[in-house]
Amino acid sequence: MNTFLQLVVNGLGKGAVFALLALGFVVIFKATEVVNFAHGSLVLFGGYLVVVTRDALGWAGASWVGILSAGLLGLLLERFLLSRPRHADANALALLTIGVDVIVTEEIVRRLGDSLPFIGEAWDAKPFQLGGITLFRTHLVALGVAAVLITAFWLAFKFSNWGIAMRAQAENREAAALMGIRSSRVTATAWLVAGLLAGVAVLFIATQDFSGAGLSRGTHSIALAAFPAAILGGLDSTAGAVVGGLVVGLVDALSAQYISFDFSKSAVFLVMLVVLVIRPSGLFGTRERTRV
Amino acid sequence: MSEGVASKQVVEAPPEAPAAPRGRRSPAKLLRALGWTALLVVLLALPLYLDAAWLKAGQYMMIGAVGAIGLTLLVGQAGQLSLAHAFFLLAGGTAYSVLSGPTDDTRVIGLGIDPALSLIGAVVITALLGLAFAPVSGRLRGIYLGVASLALVFLGLYFGQSAEKLTGGTSTGRAPTPFSLFGFPFSNEGPHIEILGVPIQQAERTWYLFLLLTVLAFVIARGAVKGRIGRSWRAVRDNEAAAAVMGVSVIRAKAGAFAVSSAYAGLAGAMTVLWFDILKPDESEYGTYGINVSIAFLAMIIIGGLGSVSGALVGALIVNGLPQVLSLYSTDLGWFTGTGGGALTPILVSSFVYGAAIILVVLFEPGGLAAIGRRISRRNGRIPEEQGT
Amino acid sequence: MKRTILALAATVLALSACSTKAGDSGSSGADSSGVKTGKGVTATEITLGVMTDKSGVFKNLGLGVTQGNELWAKDFNAAGGVCGRQVKLEEVDHGYKADTAKTLYPQLEPKVLGFVQMLGSPITAALKGNILSDKVVTTPASWSSELLDNPYIMIVGTTYDLEIIDGLSYLQSQGAIKDGDTIGHVYIDGEYGKNGLRGSQFYAKKHNLTVKEIKITSTDSDLTNVVTGLKGSGVKAIALTTTPTQTGSVVAADKALGLNVPVLGNNPTFDPQLLKSPAAGALDKLTVVASSVPFSADLPKAKDVATKYKAAYKEAPTAGTPYGYAVGEVWGQVLKKACDNKDLTRDGLAAALKQTTSANTDNLVATLDFSRQGTPATRQVYAATPDASAEGGVRYVKPLFEAPEAKEYVAPHQQG
Repeated sequence: MNTFLQLVVNGLGKGAVFALLALGFVVIFKATEVVNFAHGSLVLFGGYLVVVTRDALGWAGASWVGILSAGLLGLLLERFLLSRPRHADANALALLTIGVDVIVTEEIVRRLGDSLPFIGEAWDAKPFQLGGITLFRTHLVALGVAAVLITAFWLAFKFSNWGIAMRAQAENREAAALMGIRSSRVTATAWLVAGLLAGVAVLFIATQDFSGAGLSRGTHSIALAAFPAAILGGLDSTAGAVVGGLVVGLVDALSAQYISFDFSKSAVFLVMLVVLVIRPSGLFGTRERTRV
Repeated sequence: MSEGVASKQVVEAPPEAPAAPRGRRSPAKLLRALGWTALLVVLLALPLYLDAAWLKAGQYMMIGAVGAIGLTLLVGQAGQLSLAHAFFLLAGGTAYSVLSGPTDDTRVIGLGIDPALSLIGAVVITALLGLAFAPVSGRLRGIYLGVASLALVFLGLYFGQSAEKLTGGTSTGRAPTPFSLFGFPFSNEGPHIEILGVPIQQAERTWYLFLLLTVLAFVIARGAVKGRIGRSWRAVRDNEAAAAVMGVSVIRAKAGAFAVSSAYAGLAGAMTVLWFDILKPDESEYGTYGINVSIAFLAMIIIGGLGSVSGALVGALIVNGLPQVLSLYSTDLGWFTGTGGGALTPILVSSFVYGAAIILVVLFEPGGLAAIGRRISRRNGRIPEEQGT
Repeated sequence: MKRTILALAATVLALSACSTKAGDSGSSGADSSGVKTGKGVTATEITLGVMTDKSGVFKNLGLGVTQGNELWAKDFNAAGGVCGRQVKLEEVDHGYKADTAKTLYPQLEPKVLGFVQMLGSPITAALKGNILSDKVVTTPASWSSELLDNPYIMIVGTTYDLEIIDGLSYLQSQGAIKDGDTIGHVYIDGEYGKNGLRGSQFYAKKHNLTVKEIKITSTDSDLTNVVTGLKGSGVKAIALTTTPTQTGSVVAADKALGLNVPVLGNNPTFDPQLLKSPAAGALDKLTVVASSVPFSADLPKAKDVATKYKAAYKEAPTAGTPYGYAVGEVWGQVLKKACDNKDLTRDGLAAALKQTTSANTDNLVATLDFSRQGTPATRQVYAATPDASAEGGVRYVKPLFEAPEAKEYVAPHQQG
């Protein structure tokens, strides 16, 4: 029983971080219908900026630099690459993000070289016990931060101008434009926000507690797991992103123990596949209907 | 886009257009044929001049070509985004190894079938696997399909690790039976053949084999694109609802596209294990059958131009050829010899090149190199034939 | 299109004008003192190949081993080389990718007599057939006894299975485990991991232990859930045949979850970088077994290599360097024997290898016997523990030893 509880705790903790990643994904998709294959690069970029500024600014300062840089990268990608093509087909733009991902990831991995920097000092490797269960501080902080951010987003989507503008644009782009919503502003902000979220997430990912490894190519692979999380929940549903993230974390932890460790990586994608086949738009996504 | 312009020209019967009666080849077609023939002659002659190392690099490009052709049919012609190509590569390689493997090996299963038949069998099996994915491909659309197909790669990873009796496991893998056709082995054994004094051994023989397979793949694909099946794919790609109205069975078209594309990938997979002389499934998502390979194939067809068969060839040349060629040159010329972290290696440089190429293509010429090629031929006064793109 | 045709036609003509590659590239013959030579050997030089990883996941190890090879070559040549010839190393980087290695191999192979380093089990597996058909003696930077069915493979050291057997025996002698206990073994699915597992399975049978086997892949990095499960199974020790990052994750979880059992690792499981990672505080539980000596060992030869290393290279030292040097030493002895046999061809080298019954490396590695194919050249290991104050990051706690169980163990391709 203890084992089961510990696994659930492990899973939820990681799930919170997956939720953050998935949320960033979903924000971009809602605003632009583009699936961002370069999300892993945003994560790596934020982490890399933490690594290079850490000596000069200390961990706390470097973390803020990392978060803001990741946001900035997102913004720049949107402004200079994604808004450029006149025939901005969302699928073509998704392919473009693949190209971006390859370049940014390879360059950062090259710069990291042999080093494997851990960037979650404030909370890493400081676990404490609570009635026979170990709670990893990284997971707890991640849960807290995720809760705050997700609530903030939910409020923003419901009540702020930006949130409403984004929902309007997601529903009907032309109508929104006709009503004076600046599509470019909505899109740019979405990418900025996704970058910021990625920058926050990396502070939890590149830790001993979460991934056992520092910032490296493995961090990018982990970000890939945000895909099934976002898809599960439905690419245009922010609530779905949260649920998806938690589900992914739990499936990962429980299948590792109760089925087998090597199955656990495929397990997440298998669950995603099953959900997709039953509900093609994900658990909470809006269903597309084609009438002939 | 350029297609609209081209079809307009055809419709308006341009001045130079052959008013000639059917059956008489237009000069354009003749010159085209000459061009391809000349290329073929060059390719046939190359093994007489190039070393084994370069031949191997060329063979690797041909593997890419076969796979890329299949993927461009699926993504470009039928409009189905798939990231599962690497999975079908693994399936093809495994099928070939199992079908042709020795029956008396205690570690892995083999059925002892003739290699040529095994190759055909592998292609058929992979096609069936592609067909099996049809229920999923039928229900999903666009990017959702792409991400669902990603799941196949991970499942393939797990399959490679766990089905050890078939794949040999990630530990040791298994050696595929060397290919032979009607008893003629494509290795260093068998009859000693010489052309113009050059001994035709494993590298040369494999070159010819791969060349034959690539040409077959190319010709069949071109036929499909120009024919009815290509038209039904394009109809589904452009507007599913309209296609259904026109009487195209959307489900069948999609399933067929997956089957064909998987068959190509299966062939490329069998070629891959013959090239490596080993089938060794991956330990991680970055390997011979991982996501990076699916992305590489996607890069090939984007660079070449989605839907263009000849574009797929060029894309494969660039994406698969560049790292090989750079590695060979770097050993010869001493480039890229930096050690330790931060070194610019041929693999890294190639990744930058094709990443940048994808971005440039999407930004500036979404039709890829194929569109650029068409523009150049049009500028030369050559009327483009009705390309099924 | 016209221009393209012309270009192609020109190429065809040019090709027909150029000469084909017909014509022999043979190189054999005997030299003036009657020594037969073949590929890779000229009158003044013997070229040995190094296929290493300078840019991929094992670049640290690759760099260290290569540097050890280079230090040896320098010393060997300074002492006069062999048969009046100097040794030259021809290095290529495959980036730990089997397909790159496969393309580089045919370019490198004709130039070399043998491979003093071939790093990576995927690479070695992919080239296994080539090694056999080209008859090149190869030292893979892999200690899997599965490779020993190939007579041209020269493994310098104890194989992974025996490392584990020796290590478990050591733990038992320390009282950490006793007969009937449950232990865990986390292993990478690969030549490396499976071979280590073989050792623990053998030892378990002898001592009635239950082994909880956990198979992972080389890129998994978070093993907290795995250790959680092992804790639930009540293991008294954990054996690891993993990468250094994974070792870090296991020891950290071992401590964090309150399990606190000893952890035993094969030689590649440790890297000095772990001492700077958040897992550093948990490394005291780790015992590493290896057949080649730690960088900081206070043996005269090891100190000599260490000094030379520090003078020549600036990177942080690892255990790869004394190993790379030891490999070179063994090659030197095999080459000398081949020279005595007056046969510096590939066949001659293979024969000389088989005749080497006691290669001596001044205890950088135990004495090695290559005469029985399929049998590991030695079964002895050092036991070491991480120590931040030692150069290279480990210091040994038990000098070369061989467990009684190791003597009885039959390696997979052992004959007789």
